[in-house]
Amino acid sequence: MSSRDNILQRIRTELQKAPAPEQPPVPEVWPRVNPSSEQLVEQFTTALEQVDGEVIRCGSMDEARRKVTELAEQLDAKPVGAVDCPACRDLLSDFPADRVAWTRDGWDPKQMAQLPAGLVAAELLLADTGTCVVVNDTAEQRLMCYLPPVCLVVAQVDRLVEHMPAAWEEIARRTAEPQQRGEFVFITGPSRTADIEKILILGVHGPRRLLVILVG
Amino acid sequence: MSSENLHLEGASFLKQQNEGLYEPAGSKATGEAAVRSTDKNRVITGAIPYWQDWREQARDIKRYTVANLDKLLVEFERNITARGATVLWAETAEEANRMVIDIAREHNIRSVVKGKSMVTEEMELNHSFQAAGIRAVETDLGEYIVQLAKQRPTHIVTPALHLSAEEVGRLFHEKLDEPFTSEHQQLTDIARRHLREEFISADMGMSGCNFAIADTGTMAIVENEGNVGLSTSTPPIHVATIGIEKVIPSIHYLPVFLQLLARVGTGQSLTSYTHLIHGTTPGKKLYIILLDNGRTRILRDPAAHNALTCIRCGMCLNVCPVYRRAGGWAYGWVYPGPIGSIISPHLVGMKQAGMLPFASSLCGACSEVCPVKIDIPHQLVHLRHRAVCEPSPANSILDRLTWRAWAWAMSGPRRYKLAMWAVRIGVRAAGVIPRCLHVDKLRAWTRGRELPKVPGPAFRKWWKRERQ
Repeated sequence: MSSRDNILQRIRTELQKAPAPEQPPVPEVWPRVNPSSEQLVEQFTTALEQVDGEVIRCGSMDEARRKVTELAEQLDAKPVGAVDCPACRDLLSDFPADRVAWTRDGWDPKQMAQLPAGLVAAELLLADTGTCVVVNDTAEQRLMCYLPPVCLVVAQVDRLVEHMPAAWEEIARRTAEPQQRGEFVFITGPSRTADIEKILILGVHGPRRLLVILVG
Repeated sequence: MSSENLHLEGASFLKQQNEGLYEPAGSKATGEAAVRSTDKNRVITGAIPYWQDWREQARDIKRYTVANLDKLLVEFERNITARGATVLWAETAEEANRMVIDIAREHNIRSVVKGKSMVTEEMELNHSFQAAGIRAVETDLGEYIVQLAKQRPTHIVTPALHLSAEEVGRLFHEKLDEPFTSEHQQLTDIARRHLREEFISADMGMSGCNFAIADTGTMAIVENEGNVGLSTSTPPIHVATIGIEKVIPSIHYLPVFLQLLARVGTGQSLTSYTHLIHGTTPGKKLYIILLDNGRTRILRDPAAHNALTCIRCGMCLNVCPVYRRAGGWAYGWVYPGPIGSIISPHLVGMKQAGMLPFASSLCGACSEVCPVKIDIPHQLVHLRHRAVCEPSPANSILDRLTWRAWAWAMSGPRRYKLAMWAVRIGVRAAGVIPRCLHVDKLRAWTRGRELPKVPGPAFRKWWKRERQ
């Protein structure tokens, strides 16, 4: 018998003796109050600032493009790393080709670590916690979230939901798709630690700064 | 305490308890940090009107999980295998270690970066890596510090809770050849710089798992530093070690656990990173090791099943008056605090850990904060009962004789009178014996204590006199 069979056999033998409880219903967790889009933006901004993230609010995609160009200047980001997806392509469409490093398969992490900033796109935003939900299909996309010292996230205002339970139907549906690989990561502020004397320090292994470019 | 005598010594609680008690610096840091966490937790959880509902919901889901563990594990295996992972099952820590080393050898691995995992602490995996000549680096800041110091973690969430910034500064100076500093920011920067190199050059990454979701084949891992993100995506191979009790039935249940875990674990509404990993990414390999290592022994004792519902948040440690004073090492094994006292006796056996359930005042602070409402004091009493019935340090010949003598003395007035007379003589005599002559066993008890003064005349004598 294999270890698998042994473990399962032991569990089955022991569980036969105990009564099995009913499957519990799915908890609601937080009730829905359906706030307006402006309230959501405000809530998201407050929550993200509380965890040391920054929000750059842009009324239109044109404004977002201008702001991201300024930001790249400020950060002296030559080039900006970016995940190769429609939202990032759109945001960086004004950038000359040599100023953007698009994710490629089999990218060397050593090179990626040299990038001064990385741009990723969030598919959902949770207002109550200031969380960005980023879907990463490849290891290179994942690294774009964690390796560069500044993490830029672009997202549309209409992707804001009030809290995690409100986003869950979509997340559960997508995670259940059999072809789904890689990860969904919930990013709530920059990398942090309190491992020495419980004193909070930002940017231990991941990015020190997290900027969310909120469009619309 | 040196790392040598921490090496899988089992839980010789009484001996090590003294170590914790007599290291004022260590246990002061632990106590203060634990108090801070507790206060913060009270404010955060008090502000949520649904907190008690969440705890009950989480408890019910976990109990349902334990009652269906076999089916859920098979479902998780099937679904994550379909997403490209290889699932292995290990009955013991040794078997799991062998599996990890075999995977490493198969892929010619020279260096490994590790995200925080209590299961690999339980396996003592770093010793196996060392023996196999593979460089393995802990990347969680706390774990990294503890590894450099050649110590064991003292807390399951904040492993280096017992070390001050100055001690960390001295350690970095000594081991990493960095200029001394006790500034938190600078210390963190030093660790970041050194560990960046490790991430980039590693051939294999390891992680634990907070929730293994059966119906989708997803691993949910929470963290704050970004080291789990890096450990699981930089190297070409990711190995995750998971205790079999970590499974939950459905992705739909995850939100309630995420709400609870971040708040009790670290006082956040969500951790900086919550990863939902579904299988492999292109060009990478994912191995999953499901570890039993004594967990099915908990199932054998129906009264103990709730111990398997723990989500390892560490809150019961923070609120425990014994943990605050004695520190993590006093518990002798990887899981300290109240939760350690109820799982170690099952996992390493009553013979080694039989004294742990007695190291509690049964004050109940732990079960009051537990996010999955484990009845820890009841579990402790249940284990005390087992410890005096089964072979354990609480069931030694000396203990048995003592209790038999006590039962004899208490079963009649004459016997009682005789016993009390003997005690009066005994206490007076013991006061005269110099401490240096005390035998080891006795010294553990007398070292920090004064013998009580023998009181005046016995109550019986006084009563007789008053009545006349």
